[in-house]
Amino acid sequence: MSTTYETLVARAEASTTGLSPERAQEKINANGTLLIDVRERENYIEGYIPGAENVPRGFLELRIESMDNDRSCAIIVYGAQGQGALAAQALQDMGYSDVAYIQGDIDAWQNAGLDINQDRALDKAEVQRYSRHLLIPEVGERGQGKLLDAKVLLIGAGGLGSPTGLYLAATGIGTLGIVDADIVDVTNLQRQILHGTSDLGRLKAISAYETLKEINPGCNVVPHTDYLTSDNIMDILPEYDIIVNGCDNFPTRYLVNDACVFLKKPIVDGSIFRFEGQVTVYTCDGEGPCYRCLYPAPPPADLAPS
Amino acid sequence: MLGVLPGTVGLVQATEVVKLILGQGDPLIGRLLMYDALQMNFNTFKIRRDKNCPVCGDNPTITELMDYQAFCAMDHSDAAD
Repeated sequence: MSTTYETLVARAEASTTGLSPERAQEKINANGTLLIDVRERENYIEGYIPGAENVPRGFLELRIESMDNDRSCAIIVYGAQGQGALAAQALQDMGYSDVAYIQGDIDAWQNAGLDINQDRALDKAEVQRYSRHLLIPEVGERGQGKLLDAKVLLIGAGGLGSPTGLYLAATGIGTLGIVDADIVDVTNLQRQILHGTSDLGRLKAISAYETLKEINPGCNVVPHTDYLTSDNIMDILPEYDIIVNGCDNFPTRYLVNDACVFLKKPIVDGSIFRFEGQVTVYTCDGEGPCYRCLYPAPPPADLAPS
Repeated sequence: MLGVLPGTVGLVQATEVVKLILGQGDPLIGRLLMYDALQMNFNTFKIRRDKNCPVCGDNPTITELMDYQAFCAMDHSDAAD
């Protein structure tokens, strides 16, 4: 005897709990509800309910226990055209007791005018280049999309800016600005690995641009070849999400700090001296400290490390 | 300056950038990481916002950019504590 898909869905709906999109929204807003989208990846990335994890229907039973092994955890599932109820049935059969599906699946959610998230879709070349990131759940396609959308400014293309720039370009940061007005000097080459011997006498920002473009042509590298001053910093910083400070002098440190506090931009700060280094993140939003909280005044000129 | 030192420190910065963008893990917010290459020690210390900070404190006295070359050339020995 054969059974149609409609019959299967109707049976699943009869033996599981269905929630209207509005009721589901309330439950999702309450903490601790696991929301699962069981559609295929390509449907999911076109638009999903905020907070939903994507576990295609065929992998649901395989993966659910690694997501939450507690059989009493609250789970809401949805898909398209009845998949939600079938998924709820499957989880219920595994012993999950607090499972519900969204009535009418994603279509009903959209028709109710509720929020939909859409991730930046990666193209084929990006999927290949960043495939090792896509395998890590904490990054994945969504995380890689965030990296590709991010705009990061490096203050200095010297000792600190070199490794930072090389890895951030390789990792897929979408836009990488580099501020440096200096010229590559032979004494720099012992540590400033963005530049090579053939770059001697060239602007560091331009040399860095070429090195980073070679590593990742997809990265939008923006060289800024002027000295950063009170007059131009407010033209440059607002374009960026995160400021990475690798500068080598105190006036620039105070300048970047004050500008970032005014703009509420986070600074990832690094400094080095001989055999020691320091790193911290100044959020500049009034929560954590800023550079001036720690160092209200610069050291006397004769004690300042060069 | 030891040539390999900025490599280690710069990559800690790069790691923090990636974490901030992804919203994963515990970034070095309110924490200062100190790295000693000779002893090969990494230590973190809690750091706090100063409510009397002239720029980000409760009653800031610095509300616009200044001449930073002049500021750093000034004698701050009275203010230093």
